[in-house]
Amino acid sequence: MADRTSDEKTIRAAKEMLAESIRGLGAYHLNACVKCGLCGESCHIFLTEPDPENLPGVKAWKVMQHYRRHHTLLGRLAPRVAGARELTPATLDELVDTVYGRCTACGRCGLHCTIGLDIGAVIRVGRHMLAAVDKVPAGLQRTVDNQLETGNQMAIPRDEFLATTEWLADDLRLEMEDDTVRLPVDEKGARALYLVNPREVKFFPLSLMAAAGVFHRAKESWTLSSRFYDVTNYGFYSGDNGVGGELTRRVMDEAKSLGVEEVILSECGHGFRSFRWEGPNWIEERYPIPMRSVLELVEEYLDTGRIRVDPSKNQRRVTLHDPCNLVRWGGVSEPQRRILKRVVNDFEEMTPNRADNFCCGGGGGMLSMTEYGERRVTSGRVKADQIRNTGAKIVATPCHNCADQLLEITKHYKLGTEIVAVVELVYDALV
Amino acid sequence: MRIAAALALLWAVLALLYQVVLARGGGRTDYSVRAGHSGRGVLYAFTTAMLPTHKESVRHHPGKFAVGLLLHVGVLAALLEIVLLVAGVAVGWPWGVLALLALPAGIYLAVRRRVSPVLRAMNAPDDYVAIVAVCALLVMAALSAFGIVAPAVLLGYAVPFLVYLPLGKLRHVIFFFVARADLGRRLGYRGTLPLAAERNHGGQD
Repeated sequence: MADRTSDEKTIRAAKEMLAESIRGLGAYHLNACVKCGLCGESCHIFLTEPDPENLPGVKAWKVMQHYRRHHTLLGRLAPRVAGARELTPATLDELVDTVYGRCTACGRCGLHCTIGLDIGAVIRVGRHMLAAVDKVPAGLQRTVDNQLETGNQMAIPRDEFLATTEWLADDLRLEMEDDTVRLPVDEKGARALYLVNPREVKFFPLSLMAAAGVFHRAKESWTLSSRFYDVTNYGFYSGDNGVGGELTRRVMDEAKSLGVEEVILSECGHGFRSFRWEGPNWIEERYPIPMRSVLELVEEYLDTGRIRVDPSKNQRRVTLHDPCNLVRWGGVSEPQRRILKRVVNDFEEMTPNRADNFCCGGGGGMLSMTEYGERRVTSGRVKADQIRNTGAKIVATPCHNCADQLLEITKHYKLGTEIVAVVELVYDALV
Repeated sequence: MRIAAALALLWAVLALLYQVVLARGGGRTDYSVRAGHSGRGVLYAFTTAMLPTHKESVRHHPGKFAVGLLLHVGVLAALLEIVLLVAGVAVGWPWGVLALLALPAGIYLAVRRRVSPVLRAMNAPDDYVAIVAVCALLVMAALSAFGIVAPAVLLGYAVPFLVYLPLGKLRHVIFFFVARADLGRRLGYRGTLPLAAERNHGGQD
């Protein structure tokens, strides 16, 4: 009896979320597929594992079946004819593998779809439903919980964060031979609040150090926050817009309390998309304080002469990986190119690139879900081939999530490349 | 029969429009600050983005795409033939040629739907109903245009066809435009579309 009640609650919650998440957006795309099956070549997962279950159209269809059952006349009257599927705990369980394990929601297939179907948005409808009924894969949900409970996705204690900023400042003072270099934390009245990926604090401090060095040279008035410094937003990946909104609100409140004029987002694809584009809609208000990418800020420094660079300091060939959420879904494709062309001597584009790029394989929260690790690395072969074809020794990527995946595929596919953030190359080129 | 066909046509148009309104669900305010132009994104989505150089699904499958295009030309001609007949305008044999040329394309797509493993993974009876109904429409339109059967036969077939059209897969007749416009609008707003001029899409792949 208790199980039945629980199942009914689950189904009700999933139905409500389905209705909510298609409002004004997904329903167009849930109605338009002609199932032509021509989308395979646009998907890095299908290309490396050509199982029909990995075809973007098939993945979208599995979400559409539920839509058809509950939101179309034919699906209600003749579900078998419509191919409609009832929402049940079992069908929801089946959906987990499809929307979390076989798709990074990179959205490349949408650009190449014969119709123009936003398959990424359809997959996200599936994720919304599963998040509403607590069926997010455990690893991904743990990261979401960390972020909610501790303020950062890696659950780094505040003391550890502060200690890291202190030793980074020490190192930077030595490296720049300048005793005035600082990594300011919680400084009220600073012009800009800089959000970073906790991975920069824990594993890749060089990018945070490089950003601090560039800010120092540009005489920027900036600060980190010891409470809410996390640029990532795992509510976006899990499909929980409530969490996404909560994390957005915390950062905006922190920015207000520090009195900053703008929020600068570190190199993070989904973080940029979440804060810049989705966040205002999650909290249903216009930001009182603007946000932009650190790439846009650094380009401004270069344009206005606030920093000067010498590209001969970066002699090795560099290529650029375009994070899907920054470029395709964020609209930031050119600042990083213009920066790289000024700070390195030999820049080579990948093919394809910009909004047409392939996902590295680590998007959509894949890196948090160990159960899909093998598929993630296999799907990274497309990106590995792209990198190899450039002959580059360095891959610059404005995303720490992508960087993790690129590091792994570099090792797995023996690429011999170094993975760096764009700001690191800028720092190396400073004069 | 003309009145019945006219009513079926009216039903199809109204039901399609109703579904679009329903799908819009009142819409949502976008609270983010735009970086580009929605209108330019929509225009791009319906022009440059449709070119084989910019759309992999076409570039990799030119034959299948051409077949699909041919089918749609024939279907549109057949639908127009119905509209003209409902309006009391006589239709000549060229309409039948268009329908007849499109028929092999329809048959090819029906067979492909049955044999392709990737299509079978997402097929539903509705998909077969749609392609068979469309092939039958082409046959009726051709026979009527060539004067082999009376226009009333085509109009008689048009009634159940038009009643079914907004219910199943064939409703993409309107959702194609709405979905593509929506994608163009959102990516235009964010500044992604139109794609940068220097874009290297790997047209040689």
